[in-house]
Amino acid sequence: MVAFVELDGVGMTFRGRTGAYEAVRDFNLELSEGEFFCLLGTSGCGKTTVMNMLAGFDTPTAGQIRLEGKPVRGPGADRGVVFQGHDSLYDWLTARDNIAFGLRLRGMGARERRAVADRFLNMVGLTGQGGKHPSELSGGMKQRIQIARALANDPRMLLMDEPFGALDAMTRAVLQAELSRIWSENRKTVLFITHDIEEACALATRVGVMKRGPGGTLKAVVPIDLPFPRERTSDAFMASFRQVHELIHAEIHPHA
Amino acid sequence: MHSRTATVIGYVLGFALLFVIWHLASQYLVSSVLFPSPFPVFERGWVLLEEGLLQESVWASMRRIIQGFLLGSAIGIPIGLAIGSFRPVRLLLEPWTEFFRFIPAVAMITVSVIWFGIGEESKIFLIAYTTVFVVVIATAAGVGAVGRDKIRAAQCLGANKLQVFALVALPATVPYILTGMRLAMANAFVTIVAAELVASNDGLGKMLWDARLFMQVEDIFVALISLGLLGFATDRVFRLLIRAFAGRFNPTM
Repeated sequence: MVAFVELDGVGMTFRGRTGAYEAVRDFNLELSEGEFFCLLGTSGCGKTTVMNMLAGFDTPTAGQIRLEGKPVRGPGADRGVVFQGHDSLYDWLTARDNIAFGLRLRGMGARERRAVADRFLNMVGLTGQGGKHPSELSGGMKQRIQIARALANDPRMLLMDEPFGALDAMTRAVLQAELSRIWSENRKTVLFITHDIEEACALATRVGVMKRGPGGTLKAVVPIDLPFPRERTSDAFMASFRQVHELIHAEIHPHA
Repeated sequence: MHSRTATVIGYVLGFALLFVIWHLASQYLVSSVLFPSPFPVFERGWVLLEEGLLQESVWASMRRIIQGFLLGSAIGIPIGLAIGSFRPVRLLLEPWTEFFRFIPAVAMITVSVIWFGIGEESKIFLIAYTTVFVVVIATAAGVGAVGRDKIRAAQCLGANKLQVFALVALPATVPYILTGMRLAMANAFVTIVAAELVASNDGLGKMLWDARLFMQVEDIFVALISLGLLGFATDRVFRLLIRAFAGRFNPTM
């Protein structure tokens, strides 16, 4: 039985004019289908590099990444990506056409596309907003559009790179709850990158904590066996939070 | 539309103020036959309109501008796209654009007249020449400015190279292309007047030159005002076009 996603001894060394920089070293991880995995780490630990390699934007300089047994080569429609900023949305298209972009690439007819896009608009709570352009939407709404766009394309898994990092605390909490609900409904495999411990504990079925960079690698994996939706003030949640916090704290203050 | 009304009122008052200052300056500051007040100029303009001479000159100049401008854009846009998209093309052609854009179209009038004579071809060549490099540079810059995540997002949704180009890079570049064309249009006005001053049988440049020969100061001012109004109107059209394509996501244009 092969794992759904395998990162097998993955390493990434960037070579630039100023010399080589080893961003990720010997990174090993297996994800099973339907899990929500949060990759947590301090800035510069290489967590985004891991995601970029899985997305196919960067090619690992060591090891191999496999999705359902097949080596990952370049970006593809089987891995939907939600980007940190909203620069990835197409300003010249309406929210609906942004969501339907992947369907258009596959040659789906306009009527069918519209129906699918409207279904995903509903799912992300933007019913009736499909005719607006990204410039007319708030930061939180744009991230909802990104999530809808990735899901409408029906990928095998979802990669999310700090998707709520640029939002205010209130909007972030609302979107975390929405994402949790959407995931509970469709159980897509998710790799979610974040540096927010509470966010990781609220969303994940497992949290992976990374060591500091350079040469970032997986330090520990903490399963969060709590039911959804999660009570952030419950003792069990606090216990998980504390456990993850201690792991990451040692990376922030290594000599404390 | 409250703000639109305000804009229109602003323009009307702005122009009115310009004419008032012009009138006062001609009456009290420089009272000379060489600097007429706006009223005789408007009268002369009206006469020229009634005789059909002004329309003839305007149309002769505009026709050349439009033809040369469209030709230059038609050449410039694909070259700009190629320079922006393919590194070898950029390395090969960038020296050209960097070289030719410092040879002003005005300097090319001489060879253009030698090659094409004083007819339409030489003017169209000059306008196309002055248009093409501005459009190439703006278009190439636009392709280079397409956000990395926009392209990556398309790849993750299953787009092949052609789809990335046609559905992402091209529409994202349109505002840059239009801005380049808008700048080129201003150059085209400079060039057409210079070309018609030197060698032409009609057009606003020719009108300016003839008026100088016969000391018809009012005619000179009629030609100058016509150029200003034509340029103003053309630029408005461009701004409307840019807004239609890009205004939704870039209100600064």
